[in-house]
Amino acid sequence: MNVIYCGVGGQGIVLMSNIVGEACARKGIHVVSGELHGLSQRSGSVIVHQRIGEGLSPLIPYGEADVILALEPMEALRYIYFLKPGGTVITNTRLIHHPYETENFVKGKIDKYITYEEIVENIRKSGAKLYEIDALKLAEEAGTALAQNVVLVGALTALPDFPIDKETMLEAVKASVPEKAVEANVRAFELGYKAVKELL
Amino acid sequence: MSLKEVLKEEPHTGYMLANEAIVRAALEADVKVAAFYPGSPQTEILDTFERVSHYRDDIVVEIAANEKVALETAAGAAFVGLRGFTSMKSVGGNVASDTLYSLAYTGVKGGLVVVIADDPYAHSSQSEQDGRWFGYTAYLPMLEPSNPQEAYEMVKKAFELSEKYGSVVLVRTTTRVNHQSGLVKVGKLERTPFDKLSWKENRRSYATVGSLARKFKAELLEKIAKMKEDPEFLALNRVEYFDGKEAKEVKPEEAKGIGVITSGVSYSYVLESLQKLGGEAYVLKLGVLNPIPEKLIGDFIEGLDKVVVVEELFPYIEGFVRQIAKERNPNLEIIGKKSGHFLEMLEYNVPIVIKVLAEVLGRELPFDYEGHFKRMWELAKLAPPRMPTFCAGCPHRATFWALRRAMGRPENYYLANDIGCYSMLALEHIGWTDSLLAMGASLGIAHGVQHSAQERVVALVGDSTFFHAALPGIVNAIRNNSKMTLIILDNAVTAMTGQQAHPGSPKKVNPYEKRIDIESVLRGLGVEKIVVIDSFQARKNIGKLREALKYDGLSVVISRGDCALYHFREYRRAGGKIVPYFVDKEACERAYNCIRDFGCPAIVIDETDLKAKILPEVCVGCGVCSQLCPHNAIHSTAILYGGEDKPYVTIEDYRELEQIMLRRGGQ
Ligand SMILES: Cc1ncc(C[n+]2csc(CCOP(=O)(O)OP(=O)(O)O)c2C)c(N)n1
Ligand code: SF4
Ligand code: SF4
Repeated sequence: MNVIYCGVGGQGIVLMSNIVGEACARKGIHVVSGELHGLSQRSGSVIVHQRIGEGLSPLIPYGEADVILALEPMEALRYIYFLKPGGTVITNTRLIHHPYETENFVKGKIDKYITYEEIVENIRKSGAKLYEIDALKLAEEAGTALAQNVVLVGALTALPDFPIDKETMLEAVKASVPEKAVEANVRAFELGYKAVKELL
Repeated sequence: MSLKEVLKEEPHTGYMLANEAIVRAALEADVKVAAFYPGSPQTEILDTFERVSHYRDDIVVEIAANEKVALETAAGAAFVGLRGFTSMKSVGGNVASDTLYSLAYTGVKGGLVVVIADDPYAHSSQSEQDGRWFGYTAYLPMLEPSNPQEAYEMVKKAFELSEKYGSVVLVRTTTRVNHQSGLVKVGKLERTPFDKLSWKENRRSYATVGSLARKFKAELLEKIAKMKEDPEFLALNRVEYFDGKEAKEVKPEEAKGIGVITSGVSYSYVLESLQKLGGEAYVLKLGVLNPIPEKLIGDFIEGLDKVVVVEELFPYIEGFVRQIAKERNPNLEIIGKKSGHFLEMLEYNVPIVIKVLAEVLGRELPFDYEGHFKRMWELAKLAPPRMPTFCAGCPHRATFWALRRAMGRPENYYLANDIGCYSMLALEHIGWTDSLLAMGASLGIAHGVQHSAQERVVALVGDSTFFHAALPGIVNAIRNNSKMTLIILDNAVTAMTGQQAHPGSPKKVNPYEKRIDIESVLRGLGVEKIVVIDSFQARKNIGKLREALKYDGLSVVISRGDCALYHFREYRRAGGKIVPYFVDKEACERAYNCIRDFGCPAIVIDETDLKAKILPEVCVGCGVCSQLCPHNAIHSTAILYGGEDKPYVTIEDYRELEQIMLRRGGQ
């Protein structure tokens, strides 16, 4: 399975792929990930490619990702060309507006922010199956707004084709987050898992 | 990323970043002295080593003032007989190269391995520099891995080869290898205690000049010639036959028909492309970039009709192949950059490589990658661009806001930018920079410009860059009575690469480190006009900056303010609570001064009333925006409680506070 993880620098995108990578290590499943650290992290767009089970190179070819897992909807759309025709997009529902967009707003270059509906409409037009998750709400319910990424990892695990079982994924979550945040993250994972199961 | 995997002593298989696998390899090789200067894409090597050093006392890990000093530190250890290690980004190699070229001559005793990490596509670098020429032009052996497992194995091997030949061994990586994670099988971590050796017992001369240099050069040529024939080096290259499904190892002489020569991450693009095409081909995967195994290449191409050379950036391997083919197979068709099939810039991926291989193999593309990309791009381009920008609470943003005001008309100045987070000023969404070249270069450029341009010149330099490469430029400016304003952005850390310590930083890697005060350095050097400002007092700073800009001579402004990422990470760790600011909707007159030319990611427009709004989950409470508001509409949420001692705790509290505020505003 090919997965694109994306979002805005600072949202904990690499942690998502690390959890799945850790689970692969536990199961002995082949995995290769391509990350970018550095400049892109200052509120910039961040993308991680992950090849689970098969796929040799660290970059998913255009049109071959099975899933895009996005912590921010604009980022899901930005990388839509990686998704295979009819692939799955799981996206957080909250937009993060870049200061540049806000500055264009006050300078009169645009007369409104881009809306979630506009973004999602284009994602749908691509032919993607779409699952929308209010990760902030679920993460807060779980006890920490910081766990939005783990909510989405739970959501990913719930997909029928996802090759790793839920128990192993939970162990990987526990091994990857700070000790004092384990409980909240497990709850966040479960809430994300349940949310997608209900949408299936 | 997991430190656990790096530290676990038993042999195991773990999910690791290549940069972590490299650290594990060096530790298994019993490296004793490791020194670095940060720079993408190799910074996680330094960061991992730093964390390792908190758990082990059998290693010295330091962050050096720059790459050259880092290399020299590791080399000093290797002269005495201990193993040394350093890594640097592509352009860091330029800084270290003066010493590196001499080190090739002197050789070493203990193993010395140097990783040079290139950045095709210039994701986070000033150029797409190709570091492979360092090996070739310095007569130093250079290896290139293509994935984390190979990175681990080659670094370990590099230490052995280094001691076998008494030579520095270079390992060249690229961003897509350094930042690749996968399952890495590692061996046992067995280390010896850190014991100093006797120099008297190990003494030999490492002096190279004149006749001594000529003697070393002759030895160097001999060494590199031996390496070319050495089975240990040759074993790092591989010839494979890909039968349409799988690759199996074969002898180079067996190759016939169509062949591919590749190395590094491109190897994985080649193999994946062949898999998708179900194509048959012979593949020579080079693990040694210098000395190039000429005989092996000759044997490989001798029976071929066509060879495709797949490598990013320079046609480095291709040049050798063309040379060797003249003798071994003059009719060979060579497909690469010179034939126009591949670009000499940007990084590659499967769609780029498969297109050429499909053409050469006469196969259908399994998927219309380009067409799909173009169709989807029509949809994707709706997403507004999201360039990297200054964090919420960044001191640089505040300094630049004040600088713009102090200048009045920035177009009347020349702005010489430098390398650091402040480089983001040059990105297109801000676009305020006249030149930006290399670490420390702002000083020398500014000096030349002040000789030549009528406008006042302003040079920017960060605190880490100040120590790294700016000092000679400053000395030169003082000596030559340069008329310019230098602004030193002292944010306590090397921020852009992940907030590492530097010589002026309060942060330390080792308890013995001393903090060097920039202001005292400048006074000692004899700078007469020094203005120290608090970055976050943006409005007050306008006047002080104006004064510095007007000064008829060299004026230096030190703008002090902690990097927000660094500061608030420490602050939160210490149990501190963030107190965000909020916009008093009653007072906001939609002047947008808090947005224009400022751009804090925490400030957005509330579309219900078109007034400014601060996102409490993003704001860190630096308070700068409140100084910009002409209507006094921005305040700390602390005032809602009537004091600083009752800070805000959760987003719910904040929402509640907003309600209280709205009611209060109505009074
Ligand atoms: C020769 C060289 N080494 C390392 C780097 C990587 N690098 C890019 S930005 C940067 C940080 C510089 O720190 P500082 O000047 O303090 O600026 P800050 O990021 O803290 O604002 C570094 C080390 C580089 N570009 N060139
Ligand atoms: S990392 Fe620090 S210096 Fe860099 S933009 Fe963020 S706050 Fe500013
Ligand atoms: S106080 Fe203002 S400038 Fe500072 S982080 Fe918050 S919103 Fe941004």
